[in-house]
Amino acid sequence: MNIAYELEMKLRPPQKEMLPYPPKFITLASGEKMVIRQVKREEIPLLLEVIEPLIKIEKDFYDIVAARFYAELLGFFRYRVRDEYCLVGTIDGVVTSICNGRLVNDDLGMSYHTMTIKRGLRCGAQMFAAKMEYHIEILNQKEVFIVAESPIGFRRWMIEYQLVPRFHVQHELGGVPTYILTRDLYFAAKERLVTGTRPVPKGLLETSDTLILPEEYPQIPGWRR
Amino acid sequence: MYKIDKNVYAYRCPKCGQLHYPAPMRCKKCGYRRYPEQEIEPNFQKEGYKPWEKTPLKGSCKLLTYTRLWNLPIGFDQRYLDFGLVEFENGIRASGRLLVDKPKIGMKLNVRVEKIKEFYGKVCYGLQFVKP
Amino acid sequence: MRKVGVVGIGHTKFGNLSDYELVDIMAYASLNAMEDAGIDGGIDQVMVGNMGAGMLNHQTGIESALVSTLNLEPAMAELVSNGPASGSSAFKMGYMAIVSGMADVVLVTAGEQMRRITGWEATDFVATLSHPEVEYPYGLTLPAFAAMFTRAYMAKYGLTERQLSLISVKDHLNAEKNPFAHVQLPVTMEGIADSSHASVVNSYVSEPLRLYHMCPVSDGAASVVMCAMDGAARFKKKPVRIAGIGSATDTHCVHNRKDPLDLKAVRLAAETAYKMAGIGPKDISFAELHDAFVILELCLAEEVGFFKKGKAIEAIEKGETEVSGRLPINPSGGLKAKGHPVGATGISQIYELVKQLRGEAEKGRQVKNPKYGLAVNFGGFGNNVVATILAKE
Repeated sequence: MNIAYELEMKLRPPQKEMLPYPPKFITLASGEKMVIRQVKREEIPLLLEVIEPLIKIEKDFYDIVAARFYAELLGFFRYRVRDEYCLVGTIDGVVTSICNGRLVNDDLGMSYHTMTIKRGLRCGAQMFAAKMEYHIEILNQKEVFIVAESPIGFRRWMIEYQLVPRFHVQHELGGVPTYILTRDLYFAAKERLVTGTRPVPKGLLETSDTLILPEEYPQIPGWRR
Repeated sequence: MYKIDKNVYAYRCPKCGQLHYPAPMRCKKCGYRRYPEQEIEPNFQKEGYKPWEKTPLKGSCKLLTYTRLWNLPIGFDQRYLDFGLVEFENGIRASGRLLVDKPKIGMKLNVRVEKIKEFYGKVCYGLQFVKP
Repeated sequence: MRKVGVVGIGHTKFGNLSDYELVDIMAYASLNAMEDAGIDGGIDQVMVGNMGAGMLNHQTGIESALVSTLNLEPAMAELVSNGPASGSSAFKMGYMAIVSGMADVVLVTAGEQMRRITGWEATDFVATLSHPEVEYPYGLTLPAFAAMFTRAYMAKYGLTERQLSLISVKDHLNAEKNPFAHVQLPVTMEGIADSSHASVVNSYVSEPLRLYHMCPVSDGAASVVMCAMDGAARFKKKPVRIAGIGSATDTHCVHNRKDPLDLKAVRLAAETAYKMAGIGPKDISFAELHDAFVILELCLAEEVGFFKKGKAIEAIEKGETEVSGRLPINPSGGLKAKGHPVGATGISQIYELVKQLRGEAEKGRQVKNPKYGLAVNFGGFGNNVVATILAKE
């Protein structure tokens, strides 16, 4: 066996078998249907392209979120992050929003980032809700560690879900204070915040088979791919 | 000196008896002036001035309308707060916190005064509407 | 009395303009208005409408700053503040300056910048309009007052949440065609009311009002040049005449109104404006009504005499208030979708009236042959209201 390959295999973290996130769709205010599904590893290079233009946008902390998200997905793609997943929201195949996270162990989830390209339709809130649904309902975990890196995130996650502070524990994203979503908090918020229909009708699900790069970003006026 | 007055008051015009909440600087019915309790100018309470009577808002009231507010302003960390607009038996109306499970327009309520907010260490007391 | 007309209009995009300075945004709209009028000076008086620069931008004296950046010294300059009706009040003051003979040409510019702070802080900023002892400390906000009003209206007239959403859909459709609108995104009844996901997608902000029943938080500015009609010939475009202006106040505390559903200041302001214009509600071709909450589009339309109380929703259901309908309301998209930079809104409404009366509105939202346009700008929760009627000459 190739020595370099052998060494590479030593560097790769072991991967746990994760139950897949069953796709769902949500009818947005515009009437458009957003399909939310799990991202396959081979789709990550395309998502890196989705994120890249936002890495230097300071407004609303897109730079922090985009740079870190890029690194997390790269780590996932090149086998440097253990037990990571990524969900994508699409409208007619175009990527509108993405979110990711990781399993620390069977009971504990680590929420990473949520990012919206298409604005004004609360896509980000639906993606975050889907991520919590994945941890609590699908993977049957007990708790999720969450941090906010922007004021809007703090309001959407900490206040909206009434997350409990647990500042003495360390979230993997560094020093931002850690908050916890418990199963009880999730189920208390579920009716108000989590929605979607399963199964996704075949034709609608197929629109999401091939991910399409967004042509423009409301965050970067005048920019076109 | 450090006694906390937890009451919320309506003010009665000493001349015509009209009740007001909050206290105005002149009676909306007869125009009689109200002077502040502390000195605002030399000889500010002119001779013959009758002070306004303070009446605590209490007893039962009727719910006129209500809401559950989910987007609170900065300074409030609760997920939501319930508010109501009520009418007391003496005709005074007021807004305040609503603490009933299933509010209904027209329902009878009682009022109590409790802490509603702490602002830079200062405690604000205010009206809470509860089931009788 | 001197007759007064509007000869120039300017507007910025409404939305997130937090990268710019407030005075620069206002200057941009002002220069657009001056270019539209075909002038680059000769302004006697500048009136500025703004609600919160002192709090939001930590800047005072913006009227002097604006004059200076526009190089308009030694024009007289004043700041006019009347909460979310600051713009219309500044317009009224400009009108009075010309009528009094103190000025012949007045630039009225109104602007606000609310996106440099979080939505959380913006909610608090607007709530400082309420009574500092008996309303504000409780956490009551303008959406909460609007919601309590809506609840009482629903109980009395049987209005439903779904019916309110019809107004949102109409306003978003109009805003989609308005290049200055903050939200250029149509919404559908399926999306905000009828689908099984709608209660989450369109969640409550203050029950029974939902997210898409409320205006967004916006930055932006608008500006107009007005002049005495006898001197209007020297400007590039024909003037649009100011036919009537009325304003009125109501109790500061909402609870002190005899009937919580009575928006008396709206009615009185409109009556004064009609009287001055010598016309009635039936003569109005279209209106811009202050729909910070969609319930207000409904109730303002009733208070200004377009419909009987409790009946406006029937006209909305029949499509009468659409751009192609009998009485178009908020062809601009309204505050609901065009956006609501509080101090700027009044002049933005006047901008829309002028644009429509000139026949310059974008395709698909131009009202057919309008003669009179009415704007109602609502300060506080109805405690200081300005109504303005403009007429095609």
